[in-house]
Parts: sequence; C-alpha cells; structure tokens
Amino acid sequence: MITCQASVVIVSLLMALAVGGCATQQSATNDPSATAGYHSGAMGSRHDGPGGTSGMGASARPRLSDFIVHDDLRDVHFAFDSYEIRATDMRILEKSTQWLRAHPDALVVIEGHADERGTNEYNLTLGERRAKASMNYFVSHGVAASRITVMSYGEERGMCRDKTESCWAKNRRAHFRVKAN
Amino acid sequence: MRRLSLTAFLAGALALALLFPLTTPLRLAAQGVDVFLNVTGGGTRKLNIAVPEFAVVNGTDTGGVAKQLATVAGDDLTFSQLFSVVAGTGAIPPNNPEALKKAWTDFAAAGAHAGLHGLATFRADRVETEMRLYDLTTPEHRQIATKRFDMPPAQWRRLAHKIADEVVLQFTGEPGVADTKIAYVSGRTGQKEIVMADYDGNGPAPVTRNGSINLMPVWSPDARSVAYTSFLQGYPDLYRAFPFERRPAQTLAAYSGINSSPAWSPDGKTIAMTLSKDGNPEIYVLTIATGTFRRLTRHAGIDTEPTWSPTGREIAFISDRSGVPHLYVMDAEGAGVRPLTSAGRHTQPRWSPKGDVIVYTQRAGTHDIWAINADGSNPRRLTSGPGDNQGPTWAPNGRHLMFQSSRLGGWQIFSMLLDGSVQTPVTRGSVESTSPSWSPRLP
Repeated sequence: MITCQASVVIVSLLMALAVGGCATQQSATNDPSATAGYHSGAMGSRHDGPGGTSGMGASARPRLSDFIVHDDLRDVHFAFDSYEIRATDMRILEKSTQWLRAHPDALVVIEGHADERGTNEYNLTLGERRAKASMNYFVSHGVAASRITVMSYGEERGMCRDKTESCWAKNRRAHFRVKAN
Repeated sequence: MRRLSLTAFLAGALALALLFPLTTPLRLAAQGVDVFLNVTGGGTRKLNIAVPEFAVVNGTDTGGVAKQLATVAGDDLTFSQLFSVVAGTGAIPPNNPEALKKAWTDFAAAGAHAGLHGLATFRADRVETEMRLYDLTTPEHRQIATKRFDMPPAQWRRLAHKIADEVVLQFTGEPGVADTKIAYVSGRTGQKEIVMADYDGNGPAPVTRNGSINLMPVWSPDARSVAYTSFLQGYPDLYRAFPFERRPAQTLAAYSGINSSPAWSPDGKTIAMTLSKDGNPEIYVLTIATGTFRRLTRHAGIDTEPTWSPTGREIAFISDRSGVPHLYVMDAEGAGVRPLTSAGRHTQPRWSPKGDVIVYTQRAGTHDIWAINADGSNPRRLTSGPGDNQGPTWAPNGRHLMFQSSRLGGWQIFSMLLDGSVQTPVTRGSVESTSPSWSPRLP
C-alpha cells in the first residue's frame, strides 16, 4: 500500500534542507518563489528542485500548527457564491486590523471556506478569493502583506454539517489564526 | 485482432446495424482528428448472447468461481448495453461436441444470436481460462473467436472482465471497458481518503491512508498512478500515488496557494494543473521528467480545471473572465483562447477520449451534467436530478460516464451512457463516495 506519510516526511526534510532553515516568513501569496514546488524520484530520494522557481532563497510556507485562534480576530462571512466583504463584516475586519497593527510582529493565516454546494474545484478557488478579500482589507489598512498567508479549504472544513441555509451561511467564511512572534 | 466477418454473419450484421442506429453512426470529430463509431444510448436493439457457467477443465474449483465467472462476464456485457444476456444454464462440458451442439441449438431456439463458452482450469497459483465465442445464427454454430487469459486466483474477476471486453471487441472492433478501475474519494467532512475499486464498484482498496483530506483523484494514462490534491502538509498540494506498487506518493506541486485540478496529457509526460502561486488561479503544465512548469494562462480571473483533447493539441478549461465560470478552449501552448459556453455556470469539464464531446457540470440551483460538442455546438443536458449530479468522468471508450449524485441522500457514484440514459448506482453504503475517476484500460 501507499505510504504517503513516510514520503512526505522525506519530502519535508528535503524542503528544509533545500531552503536552509526557513527563518523568514514571507508573503505566501505574492512571492512566486516562496515555496519549493516539485519533488521527483522513487522513494522521494531525489530532489529535482522546485521546477520553475529557484530553490535558493525560497521559504517554506508557515507551519499551520504554529497558528492559533485569537478572540480579537473573528470570522467574517459571505453571501452565497460571493467573496465581497459585507458592511457589517468590515467592522470585524477593522477590529482585526487594530490588533494586527498593535502586534506588528504577529503573523496571520487567513483560511477561506465555502459551503458544500458547488463543485470541489470551484469551492477551492472561491475559498481562496474569500481569504484574499480579507487580506486585501488588511493590506489596504496598513498591514504588511508579508505578514499574511492566505489559504483555501474549499468546502472541506465546514464547521456546520446540516443541509440548511443557516448552516451553509456559517460555513461561508474567512477564518483567522495568528502566530505572535 | 479477429473481427467478426459481417458478410458471413448476416443476422449478426442485422443486429449490429440495430446497435448503431440513427444516432450519427459515423462522424468526424470536431477538430478533424478522430473517426469513431458514436454508439450512444440505451433502448437500441441488443445482441442476445448466451453465457452459461464456465466449464471446469482441470483442477478443483473450491470457490465456485466457474459459475461466478459467467455471472460477472454477463454483468459486464449487460453493462455495455450492447448485449442482452440470455438466462444461463449449467456448464456445457468441455470436449463434448454433442453437448455443445445441443446447448447452442437450445439457446438459438430461445433467441440467442451468440454463445460464449468459457473454460477454466484451476491451479494453485493461477486460474486459466479460455473463451470460445460462437455465432448461433449459423447452422453449424460457427466459432467466431477464441482467446486465453490467466490471472492469480485472487484476481479471478479480472478474467471475467477481460473475457467480456474481448467479446465486445469481437462485435464492435473496440474492447469493452470492464477491465478498468475507478478511483474516488471516500469519507465525510474533515477526513477523506482516495479509494480504488473495480469499475463495477467491487473490491474497494485504499490508495491513500494518511488521515488527511485527499481530493479529486485522476488516473494517469498508463493506469499506474493517481494524481490528487491532499492537505497532508496543511495546504492543498498535488501528489501522485502508485496504487499497484510499493512506492510512496510523490509530490507534484506544493506552492503557495492552490495546487489542484491535475489533468494528464494523453502521452502521460506532462500534467496540466491549477496553481495560484502567482496571485490567482492559473493553468500551468508540469513536465514530469524535468520538474519544470510552464504557465499557460494569464488573466486576472480564475482559470482552472484543465482537460486535454485526446490529441494533446488543445486544452479545455474553466474561466470566470466573463464574470461567470464558463468553458473555454485554448491550444496546448496557451494561445487561441476561445469561449465554448456563454450561458449558465459551468465547472468540471472533461474531454471525451474520442475527442468529439466535452462534458461538464452546470449549476442552476442544483447541479447537473451536460455535454457539448467540442466545436461548441449542441449543448445538451444528460442528467435532470434528482438531487445534485456532478463530477463526470469518461470510460476509456467514450460511451459511458460515471458521476456523483446525491439523489439517494448521501453522495454515491453512478454510471450512465453518453446520452444520459441507464443511470445506475455503482457505489452504495453509509460512507459517501465522490469525485470518481475512471481509469484507462488496465495494462
């Protein structure tokens, strides 16, 4: 059978070696050289480099387990099939911005989520747009983009599982986790 | 390959003519590449074929496999919608021309056009089979074809599938699709694993077992590996697994943002995919041997879900550059982008292995599967509920599709013919099954 875990451990080690420690967190979205990309070879024993980008100076993406939920950064929610920040949610993001400006060393991961309607592929891109809409708010209010990582879970991490509109509404969200450096 | 001689098999020819009715029997693909028989639809007249239990020639059939070989091969022939299987009898003994003649005479009287005589020998490490195909419309019950297959005992179902595929080959010129696998996603929110099973849903076996969220499997053209997106490292990255080998999964793309929607080029050397590392979702092509990526699309909108034409010259994809996700086509270098659809909301395009048709999912409240000719003509609806129907995948012959449907409650995988007829469940149970990918014919 497939032993993905073993392979990924090896790949992770290779990534760590390739980037020499990954001390600097970078903007995950705006820097095309921000990650290692492609690894080839049986048993993960060969590192072909990250494809179209240079392996040197690349940074691994932040380790998500380092990030925790913080009361001052609450979720924002979205209309069906929309990634527009609603007026009521602007106030939530305003408060989050204040926290981020008060903690200039803190990093933030923004997770975009979609409800279960729509296809997997579409919801992955929709979730990313929701996370980016939130990021754009932060950046336009003075938070450095380099402190922000956006990612999408698509429809895969719904917090509410009923097939009702109120449940779907809860799942259409951007969720924030921070790492205080 | 020995094909049926139509001139020598008049009744068979008549039956064949009825199998390929007025549904555009022979046409050129839109891009002028593939000539093919467009066999669609249920409701056509079928060839009646007798499939008695297989005869045991040697060895001991402890598992009752000889009987099941006939059942499974008969199910495969039924699935093809080209045949109607005439109710079976006990085995016709081997090396007994009189018994064979009597059996075929009786089957012919009952309306059978053809007879499949299966012979099996059971050894410790192999099951050997021979299939003999007869034309029951001729007085002498002319033998059309014979062929031998063998497999380890645990894989006896593949023998039945190979025999059925050979029967389809003899009557249509193209093998059937029974000796194939499906890969799909099994599980609910929070933990989803990739599973593979025979095309009929039998024998599910894990492809991933990592406790993470694994999504959207796609078989490689050599049917040896499965590309998929996994959150194994926390982010949606692209991997490929080798489900028939003791070989760990390989990372294909692990960039910032989304790494998803793998689509193998027909030659298996490159994989088109969606990466959002450069700001928003764009389509890239990875050359597997070198690990180099080439960017194909440059647009502020979302460009995603590539699917190759069988010639490898064109790629269809989804873009919301018009404001709404629609289907587009470009050449394999990324030039010549042109819209294929302009009304409705579309995702999940999959180009037919025959080249003429692209299926996709349309959302209008709920989701249903549609098809459109590759030249943009004749968009048509294949499913009409109930529930949502999405995630289409082609059989290697371009005649059948599988998809996921919520019509019975939780998601399960269904099959249908290219015209949307004969919608039939493939998976069942309390665990949801989604995102089917139908493999090429197994090597």
